Amino acid sequence: MLSVLIWLPIIAAIIIGFYPAKDVPASQIRLVSLIVTGVVLLWNISILLKFDISNPGMQFTEYLPWNETLGLNYQLGVDGLSILMLILNSFLTWIAIYSSGKDTERPRLFYSLILFISGGVAGAFLSENLLLFFLFYELELIPFYLLISIWGGEKRAYAGMKFLIYTAISGALILATFLGMVWLTGSRSFAFDAVVTQNISAGMQLVLLAGIVLGFGIKIPLIPFHTWLPDAYVEASTPIAILLGGILAKLGTYGLLRFGLGMFPHAWQIIAPTLAIWGAISAIYGAVVAIAQKDIKRMVAYSSIGHMGYILLAAAAATPLALVGAVAQMFSHGIILAILFHLVGVIETKVGTRELDKLNGLMSPIRGLPLISALLVLSGMASAGIPGLTGFIAEFISFQGSFSTFPIPTILCVVASGLTAVYFVILLNRTCFGKLQNNLAYYPRVLWNEKVPALILAFLIIFLGVQPVWLVRWSETTTTAMVAAVPTTAKTVIALK
Amino acid sequence: MDFANFASQLNAGTILPEGIVMITLLGVLIVDLILGRTSARWIGYLATLGLTAAIIALYFQWDSTNPIAFTGSFNGDDLSIVFRGIIALSAMSTILMSIRYVEQSGTPLAEFIAILMTATLGGMFLSGANELVMIFISLEALSISSYLLTGYTKRDPRSNEAALKYLLIGASSTAVFLYGVSLLYGLSGGQTELSAIAQGIATANVGQSLGLVIALVFVIAGIGFKISAAPFHQWTPDVYEGAPTPVIAFLSVGSKAAGFALAIRLLTTVFPMVADEWRFVFTALAVLSMVLGNVVALAQTSMKRMLAYSSIAQAGFVMIGLIAGTDAGYSSMIFYLLVYLFMNLCGFTCVVLFSLRTGTDQISEYSGLYQKDPLLTLGLSVSLLSLGGIPPLAGFFGKIYLFWAGWQAGLYWLVLLGLITSVVSIYYYIRVVKMMVVKEPQEMSDVVKNYPQVRWDLPGLRPLQVGLIVTLIATTISGILSNPLFTLANNSVTNTPMLQAAKVVSTQVSVITNNESQEL
Repeated sequence: MLSVLIWLPIIAAIIIGFYPAKDVPASQIRLVSLIVTGVVLLWNISILLKFDISNPGMQFTEYLPWNETLGLNYQLGVDGLSILMLILNSFLTWIAIYSSGKDTERPRLFYSLILFISGGVAGAFLSENLLLFFLFYELELIPFYLLISIWGGEKRAYAGMKFLIYTAISGALILATFLGMVWLTGSRSFAFDAVVTQNISAGMQLVLLAGIVLGFGIKIPLIPFHTWLPDAYVEASTPIAILLGGILAKLGTYGLLRFGLGMFPHAWQIIAPTLAIWGAISAIYGAVVAIAQKDIKRMVAYSSIGHMGYILLAAAAATPLALVGAVAQMFSHGIILAILFHLVGVIETKVGTRELDKLNGLMSPIRGLPLISALLVLSGMASAGIPGLTGFIAEFISFQGSFSTFPIPTILCVVASGLTAVYFVILLNRTCFGKLQNNLAYYPRVLWNEKVPALILAFLIIFLGVQPVWLVRWSETTTTAMVAAVPTTAKTVIALK
Repeated sequence: MDFANFASQLNAGTILPEGIVMITLLGVLIVDLILGRTSARWIGYLATLGLTAAIIALYFQWDSTNPIAFTGSFNGDDLSIVFRGIIALSAMSTILMSIRYVEQSGTPLAEFIAILMTATLGGMFLSGANELVMIFISLEALSISSYLLTGYTKRDPRSNEAALKYLLIGASSTAVFLYGVSLLYGLSGGQTELSAIAQGIATANVGQSLGLVIALVFVIAGIGFKISAAPFHQWTPDVYEGAPTPVIAFLSVGSKAAGFALAIRLLTTVFPMVADEWRFVFTALAVLSMVLGNVVALAQTSMKRMLAYSSIAQAGFVMIGLIAGTDAGYSSMIFYLLVYLFMNLCGFTCVVLFSLRTGTDQISEYSGLYQKDPLLTLGLSVSLLSLGGIPPLAGFFGKIYLFWAGWQAGLYWLVLLGLITSVVSIYYYIRVVKMMVVKEPQEMSDVVKNYPQVRWDLPGLRPLQVGLIVTLIATTISGILSNPLFTLANNSVTNTPMLQAAKVVSTQVSVITNNESQEL
């Protein structure tokens, strides 16, 4: 059942890539990819509907022996930590394909790489085997490199290579840590449940955990490993930026939660204060640097760094509430970033610039882009944590959950959240408000299909903002079970009661 | 000695695969003498057929109960069968890619194939050689044919220079090897058979003496030359650049596999007393090869030179398995060499194809190739990415197994260095992919702009295409469907009495040395 999520996109990617007919128009390939990802999305939703939220363990598990010598088996499963990420993956892939232009150059390679990535990411979220996870994790490397450096902006070659090297280093670190984990536990298999880290000495646990944090920290990204992000996000085209920010970054936080907190609960307690401060610094840094940007895409990119800081803080706190908040924040950051990148992409194609100094008065109802501007205001507010929208719910739960454990980093994150509002107000003020310049303002009309993805995402943002149960109910039991494994926090929770 | 007993000791059936290769070799030569150049149309297929028959014969020798042949000078155990198979396969695909290449360079094909098959013969005998004289003779058969192949396009000054360099370095390193071998003969009290030497050394009680260490170092100098481990690698870049490309394909896989076969057999059987020492030396060689190979490859502009440094680096990766010295270590080596065969031959086939069509192999000239020749682009991209260890290609699984075996044996720093240098290697492999795939049509190089119409019906191109597609498919799926290959590699190690015995001996040695140290 879960295999469909991996193999349907990959098989479709192979068929699209190698289909012998020549000169198939881009729109047809786009349509086929849309249908495929639509089916995957529906399949994913049907899994979500059958998902038993009272079960903290893995569900719908699948097992196939593959390579006994390496301890690599095809083991899949889904739990509360990964179910939302799966939905996010198939949903954003659909959005990304929808928001790609109908006349993409080299369409077959483009859509086949996107579908390939979609299958690979699903595989990584579903894996129940460390080596299988790593395989799917590394699978993203080359397709993303190609997607950035073929269809990107002006400095795409540089951005693509930088992304490639950072991600490859991250992969090497993660592989080394995985090998260490499995070898030190004396396990013959890389399966999640076979790796019990309790027997490892405390010092070694810390070393391994450091490997996990650094490896996934590059992908999340945490400062100072974030320098690939602004280049990659800004140079990538809109659909690719949506995938990069919406899904790939989540692989990092997911890995941190699953392998860091999930597998090293004892060592996690030791480094949690450092991580909390690190998260707070990331959040403030992201916000402050975003304030200084003159390019709206760059602003959005740095906002992503800031929002990832909240997740790190919540993960470090490791209270039941904070972890629910972290998962919710991962999901809502995914959809908010997607809508922001989509809108920025629309503005760039219509107006022809992303510079804050040149954009003006897009709110103007007749000659401007009123609907796009309105949605931009909405998504900016969602990102800044205004109540009634999903961003607020996620941030609030995270902060609420973290405050009892790490009050000062939480307050710093709240300050960063305020700074987020600052740069989004700057952004909205310079782009949406003001007066249009008469001699320049002859923008093309915004087509219906350019509005659709943003409208869907905006609906989702508002819906989850007023009905947050649908955001948090999936992960509650799993995260509670994870917290129960962390020794000292459990005690403090009891003491507080 | 009565004849029946002698025949059973001779056990000549063991070298049936080599016999087939030899007959084919003679057949190729004689047919060429009788028919002249007209035979060039089908003589390549004859040789391919012969090699296929040899591989089938190898298959039937698997798990033979009586592998020792020629009164102990040849050992047809499973380990040797795997290596002989690798060498025969690499010769086979070399022939497939050389039919057109050699024809186009205006040199006779039959002579080329004859020399290539002599090298194959040498390599195959080297894989099973169990005796010093036999090792040396087969090593020389391999080396001398390789010199001839390197200088085969004799009107090309670069080829001449490469052959001269290879000859001078090769002959001197063989001389060093020979000196080490003669020391072994002396130290062991006149034994030439490998296991007898080990016993002789043990009884003569010269274990861990200076003489044995010198012999070890000299032997490693010879082996290091064949597997082009830094610092014995200096010939590699120049020879790879000058020699005809199919020859390079053979040298990088067949000759290297023969070197590794020799390394495993010689080091584990003869030197269990100084196992720590040779592990240490090989660790140094592996570190140097991985660092130097991968870092210097970054700065190359010629495709063949880049692949030369890449092959130095890949030898460094393979040495991790040798240093680990466990069952998993040896079988990870064998598995990696198997997949290395697919990826390297696929890559070289594409390089040959490109230089056949355009006459150059500069990396910058590949830019924009995807539009004109998608199959070549796909083949070269897949093989290079696989060499870089990108999932789900064969090279990824090969590297994972090597690193896993290394980690299990406690070689943490070596594995970490391997991981770091693989990241470096991704950079220069992807640079070529970038040239071919990422560049816009307007950034096409002049060579690609004038790219000839892709045609497969010219003589000799069809086998090239078959070789390309087969190796491409093998590179793509032999990682995912790796279980048979894994089983093959594992069985060849566990079924080899020599390696299992070597483990016992080395534990005995460690017990003895422990006892000695306790007595002291």
